[in-house]
This record gives sequence, C-alpha cells and structure tokens, in this order.
Amino acid sequence: MRNVGIVGVGYCPQFVSKRKDVSIPEMISEAVDAAFADSGLGPQDIDAIVFGNMHTFEGVNLPHLWSVEHIRALGKPVMRIATGGTTGMTAFHAGYYHIASGLHDVVMVVTFEKHSEGDAQVGLLGIITPEAVAMMMAGIDLTGEGGMGAQGGGSAGAITYQAVSWMHKSGATIDHIDAIAAMERRNAAKNPYAHLKDPEATAEKIAKTPMISYPVRYGHVCPTTDGATVCILASEEKAAKIADKVAWVWGVASCASDPTTGNLIEGLITDPAEQMQCVIAAREAYKRAGIEDPKREIDYVEIYNGFAHQTLMYLELVGMCEVGEAHKLLEQGELEITGRLPVNASGGVVSTNAIGTSALNRVTECALQIMGKAGERQVEKEVHKALAHGWGGLMQYASITILADKPKKL
Amino acid sequence: MEEVKLEFFNPTVPLDFQYNNRVGPGIQKLLDGFAERKIYGSKCPSCGKVVVPPRTICGACNAKMEGFVEVAQEGTLRNFTVGHVYLEKGQLKKAESPYVLGLVELDGVDSLFLARISGVEPSGVKEGMRVKAVWKDQVQGDYADLDHFRPA
Amino acid sequence: MAGKVAVVGLKFACAPDLKTTRERLVFELTRGLFDELGIDRHEVDTFIMCSNDFIDGRTISTVFLDAPSGAYLKDETKVEMDGLNALIYGWMRILSGQYDTALVVSLGLTGSQASPYLNIQYSLSPTYERQVGLLNELAGAALQARSYLSRSGYSEELLDLVAAKDLQLAAKNPRQGRRLEAVDVDKVRSSDYYYEPLRELHCYPRTDVGCVVLLASEKKAAELTEKPVWILGAGNSIETYFYGERDLSRSPSAAEATRRACSLAGISDPSKEIDFAEVSALFAHQEPLLAESMSLIPEGEAEKAYRDGITGPGGSMPINPSGGSLGGHTVCAGGLLRLCEAVLQIRGEAGPVQLEKAGTALVHGQDGLCAQQNAVLILGA
Repeated sequence: MRNVGIVGVGYCPQFVSKRKDVSIPEMISEAVDAAFADSGLGPQDIDAIVFGNMHTFEGVNLPHLWSVEHIRALGKPVMRIATGGTTGMTAFHAGYYHIASGLHDVVMVVTFEKHSEGDAQVGLLGIITPEAVAMMMAGIDLTGEGGMGAQGGGSAGAITYQAVSWMHKSGATIDHIDAIAAMERRNAAKNPYAHLKDPEATAEKIAKTPMISYPVRYGHVCPTTDGATVCILASEEKAAKIADKVAWVWGVASCASDPTTGNLIEGLITDPAEQMQCVIAAREAYKRAGIEDPKREIDYVEIYNGFAHQTLMYLELVGMCEVGEAHKLLEQGELEITGRLPVNASGGVVSTNAIGTSALNRVTECALQIMGKAGERQVEKEVHKALAHGWGGLMQYASITILADKPKKL
Repeated sequence: MEEVKLEFFNPTVPLDFQYNNRVGPGIQKLLDGFAERKIYGSKCPSCGKVVVPPRTICGACNAKMEGFVEVAQEGTLRNFTVGHVYLEKGQLKKAESPYVLGLVELDGVDSLFLARISGVEPSGVKEGMRVKAVWKDQVQGDYADLDHFRPA
Repeated sequence: MAGKVAVVGLKFACAPDLKTTRERLVFELTRGLFDELGIDRHEVDTFIMCSNDFIDGRTISTVFLDAPSGAYLKDETKVEMDGLNALIYGWMRILSGQYDTALVVSLGLTGSQASPYLNIQYSLSPTYERQVGLLNELAGAALQARSYLSRSGYSEELLDLVAAKDLQLAAKNPRQGRRLEAVDVDKVRSSDYYYEPLRELHCYPRTDVGCVVLLASEKKAAELTEKPVWILGAGNSIETYFYGERDLSRSPSAAEATRRACSLAGISDPSKEIDFAEVSALFAHQEPLLAESMSLIPEGEAEKAYRDGITGPGGSMPINPSGGSLGGHTVCAGGLLRLCEAVLQIRGEAGPVQLEKAGTALVHGQDGLCAQQNAVLILGA
C-alpha cells in the first residue's frame, strides 16, 4: 500500500467548440506542457503514461500511438484506458494503481477529446448502432413502446426517463433544474478553462431555452468541446520533493451495472435514476478512504453532470445529502461557491464537455480546490477533503475518487 | 434439459461515419508547399534532425520544431516492397499489376519518405537507386500532388 | 513491491470462425472458467475488459459484455490495447493490496466479424498516412521484413523456415486456429505474395478469439489452484509513430520492455535463464527479429538458430512451441493467447506440443504498426 498524490495539473489553454488551429496530437501537447509547467517536472521525470479518450469521436484508433512524441512518451510504458464517459477518471485510477502497486513512482495521465472533428451523436449512438441496425434488419420495430432510444435521439432520449424518475423520487421540479444549470454557467464564467460561460445566467434565462423532451431543455445539456487535460501523480516520497501543495488520493472505486437503455426490445430493465452502481462505488470509495460520515467529512464535490439535473441527483446518490434534500440545499444557496456544500465551482460538465477529459476534470478541479489553486472559482470554505464523481456508457458506469489535503495514514 | 438448437442471424451492418480532422500547422505547411511543387520539413533546434512531413514537436529532445525548411526533391531509395495486393476498407484485394512502394532518403533529410516508385519495372528496382519526385500536371495543395518517385 | 501474483485459471477459444456472438462467447468462457475452479463471480474482485471499439464496431464495446462476464454491479474497467497490458493492469491492482483476484476478459472476432487490418488502418494518422493511402499493416510489415533481412544478411528462406516451423506446430496443437495439413517450406513458398517478401503463409490468419485469465494474490492462489504460474516481471515500451524515423530492422521497444521485465524478475541473461518464449510475431520475420531484440538469440545468429533447430521444440530456446500467432491471432486477445499457451506449458498441460523443459517463460504482445509498442511478461512455476 502506498500513498499517491496529485502534484501537477495541466489544461490546454482553451476549451472551446472548435480548435481549428491544431491537430489532435498538437492539442494534447499543450496540456502536457501546462502540466510540466505546473509541476516543474520534465519528460525525464515521468515513469509511465496513462492515456484515455473516446476515439469514435475523432475516428482515430489507439491515438496514443500517433501522439507518442507529443506526449513525450518515447521508450516509456504507455497504457490506454477507454471506458466511455468515465474514461478521464478510470485513466486516473489506472495511473493511481501504477504507483500504488509499487511499480512506478511518477505517472502522467493524459486525456483529450476533439469533438469538432467528428459527429458527437455518432460517437454516442455508436454504443448501440450495430445492435439497432441488426434488429431493424431482422424486422424488429424499434419505435414502438420498447423503442426508448429512438426518442429524442442519442443519450438525450434516455436521460429524460432518468430526470423524470428522479424528480418523482425527490420532489424537485424543472425549476430546480433550471436553477442548478444557471448556477453552474455562472460558476463557469470564473473558470478560464470552461466552455459555456454566462456570468449573468439565471433560472429564467435557462427556462426560455427550447424544450428537447420534458424535462430536458436545451439549456440543461452539456456542449461538445475540444480540449485536453493532463494530471501528474507521484508516490508519497517523490511528491514531497516535487510540490508544496499536493492533493492526496484517499480512495478510488468503480462499478458497472447493466446497460439500462440498450435493451431496445424489452424497454427499461432498471430505473435509470436508481444508479445502483454509483451508490456501490461511492460506498466502496468511502470505505477505502476511511470516511464514515461523508456529509460531515467531505467539503467539496465535483459531479459529472452531462445534464443539469444530474448534479442534484448524484449529490444524493453519493450520500452527500438525503434524497429530496439536494434541491432544498440549492434553494438555500448552499451549493454555491460561497455555500456550505459547494458543488461544481468549475461549471461542471454541463459547461464543458470534452468527453475524454470530463471525468478527469472532476478530479483535477477537486485537486485545485484542495491545493488552493482554483483562482477565481476557489470556494470560500476550507477544502480538506473532496469527492469527484463520474458516470458513463448507457448510464451504467460509475467512478468515484476521494482526495484529501494530507496523506492517508496507512 | 433439452438441447436447444441455436440459429444465428448474421447481418452485415455497414457503418459509414464522416470525420473532419484538422491538419494543424505542420501538415498545412506540407500541403501549401505541394501547391508550389515544394517539399517542406521541420528541423529540431536541439538534435538538428530534419523530418518530413513537418511537425511541431521533437519527442526525443522535448523540443518545439518551429519554422519550416524546404528540402530536396531527389534522394536515395533505401528500402522497397513490391505489392501484389492492396487493402480496401480492410478487405484484401489483388492488384491489377504489381506496384512498388519505397522508402526514400531525400538528400539532407533524416526521416525516410514513403512513396510509390514508378517509371521502372518492379524487377529493375534496386536499393541505393537515385530517385526524384514527380508531381501531377495540375497541383492543388493536396496530398495527391506528389504523385510518385522515378529513377533519377 | 508487495507479494506475488499468479495466473490461477484460464479459458480461451480460437478458430477461423467461432460461429457465436460476442456476448455468448464471453459468457461461455467466464462461466466455464468459474465452473472449473468451483467459484462464482463474487470471488472476482475486479474485471479488466479488453477489446477494441473499431474492431467491435461499437463505441465502449464492452458495455454489453460486462453482464455476460459476471461483472454486474462489480468493479470493472477497460484497457484497449494488446491483452497483456490488461493483464499487467490486473497485476498492478492486486499488487496494490486492494484486490485479491482480477479477471481479464478479452476478445477479437477478426475471423468472422471484422477485418483485423482495420486495427492498424484506423490507428494511422487521419491527416497524413490515411490521406496518402499507401501505408497499411501488410505493406509496413513487408518493408520491415526487407529492412531486417537486408541489415542482417539473412536470406528470404528464413521466412519460410519460421513459417513452416510455426504452422507445423499449429497443426499439432488442437487449441490453434489455423491448422494446415502437410505444411512445409515448399508449401509456404508456394503461397501467393502479398507484399514482397511476405507471402500469405508468412502472415497471421484471420481468427476469432475469446480469452479469459484469472489472476490471484499469493494467499488466494493457493485456494484456487495447485499449479499457480507466477508473474515474475513485466515491462512495456513504445517507439515513435513516424514510420520513416524507425529502425525497422530491430525492435528497440521490445528490447526495452524485456529489460524492464527481466530487471523485475531478477533475470540478467534471458538467453540462458528463459526456457521458452511465446512471442506475438504477426509475420514470419517478426519472430527472429523480436527474438534477437529481446536477447533470446544473439543478434546476427537467427538464421543459424532456425536452421539448427535451436528455436524448435527440441532446441535450447524454443520460440512459439504452440505455433505462435501464425496459427491464430487477433487484436487485444492476441497476446493473451500467447500467455495462455505459455501457462499451459509451465503447468505441463500443453498436450501434443508440450516441451520437456518449461519452467520460466517470456511472453510478448504488440500494438501498432510493425510492433510500435511492445509488452513483455516473465512467467515462472
């Protein structure tokens, strides 16, 4: 068992809709340079690299092969992780295990996505395209009662079921979803690396955006972004020499459920708002971190919210508040940067979504808050422990990372 | 328990997706050069190696390769293969007639350049031959402008 | 580094066409393995999936494979490279002390469902190599073969010797995919040229493969098997992508991966301390090329080694006693096939291709054009 800490974070200079000026490897190298600058390290200090992204978005297989020189990986061990939306965090976890195993001391985690080079719906629908096409060719009617995926298109279709089910369980309304979306777009305005920023966002403005499929409005949905994020991890002995401020990893966990929305023949098996795998992953992460009372011990949370309601829904599912409490905390202003349970000061995924980076950004943003390096979006309260959450796939993957401001007692 | 006989439905599912990949400054320079029937490369400020096509990072030196250099259009054939097949969408097809692919060491360039070798029978191709670039009659700043290399 | 980790169970299927679906294949392999070991899925602490989205034709291609693998509501992740890397990740997770068992689940249906050449094709740069349209897996391998033969001074006949040896062994090995009758150097030489000097029988065949491997910590291994095969060391290394800048006649990354693996295993001279090797040589020339780079045979002596039978089953450095990748290979599961054959050898369960001396093995897997990236594991009894 070894303690592992985050000693460097690097973002490419801008997360925007289209980076027309650079190729994929060139964009990634910007984030690598930023991480080196942040940590004071160079390529010679890195023992191994973990690389993650979702490649159907760019149409490049195993992009770490093409990007070797740009990620300064010549001669080194490189591992590729690809788990859908959770990729950024599962790649981070792989980096963590590279060091926790005792095999390496300093590991660089590289993630990116360049959505502008492909069609995002292709990447998302591609999870089920062969099944769907084969079923249609076999004469199965996919648009009838069971044809859930056909509604609304892509992941937005399935998400409506999740949002409605959660609203029913929690008593939250669409007004709350408007409000949390607005809060995060206001937060994003303080984040130089966010994509959709609106310092004057309000629930009313969000409510005026077109309805995609109740209760999901256009203003609730994440953008597609071009961007790259790099994070450098080190063992306890090395971390002390590299950085004054380190964000220590106390617990990581992942869990996979059944592909809820992929069952086009029978319709839903599982309530997509149940997210049992998230509950299990959070429980396991708390156990590993030695945290018994998350509501008291966790100071800051970053939730992977491709859709605005998910901030509130997952806040409840990871146990940071009771079911039905999240939207009340929102009403009371407690989730704001100035509040008692600040969430997504970065603006969340609903403001920035380069899919390969999105789950890693939840970790790096928690790390920056712990290290006091979050600039204008630094929350008011002191952050000693933080929780980063990720989800992916057909809403059946979950990953959790718990960070703290000092090494865990082993 | 009764043995269940399985019958599988085997559809061919065609997946056709379009991508719009950005070339970045390095390849852009290559293509701009092609429009002028010129070949450009990059030079590493640290180790001095010259590579074609141009790019912005020398991984070995952790150095940025800024600025481009025009390189020679003639060189030495260092390696080659005679192709009797080709791949189309991953499927192996027989070529109408054998063709030659070669790795050319352009004078002054450290990386080898892959190109078709024509203007000579496959059996007449030899390692160490001098070859030179042959451009299309009309160039447009496209990859296909540099058509092949022939014996110099 | 804490403790040791062993391979305690495996199950695989390899054929030109397994006539099955991905879900069914994965279910039958994991269910079969669990039944053999007398365990259920709850004794697996973590699942490392390994398949390739482009070859599977789906994004996040293991979404539908988690449940059939037994990973429902369990810890699961996915490595998308040659399966030896997924195994290395499982190894790391157990070494961390947080897990006692890890199941690697891998497949590639490049016999019946997708062309294996697409793996390399889509890995090429969309802004240069793919647009120019000249480079592909076969052409690249052929240039590598010529570069190797040219630098080493070996004759083209070496390719025929390697292929004949491998294909004859594959014919004897009931677990292999391509099992040809009466194959010898003449039969190899009579197969059609793809890109000179590579002929059809010098190249790996299109194969369907599914493979699951269970790893366990030292304390758990004793409960699960009487014949654990230990991971003594592993390493991974990568070369530049830029084809024109590589020394195609050698594999510096295979050499580096071997150095790292041997260093962990406490091996200083692989040619003496390794009993045999299972190497992912996708083309005949890659077997001697990799063997030299991995210090199994001295550089410059490969042709002699093959002619003298040193690399055959009766020799002092048997390479690919199973028949190797020329008998069956796919993306992701390819390296795990080699690992499984090595484990069976060490356990004395390799059947018709069993070696006499099989205590310590080197196992190799590759990714990228002409083995741009290589993974090496050292296994021991």
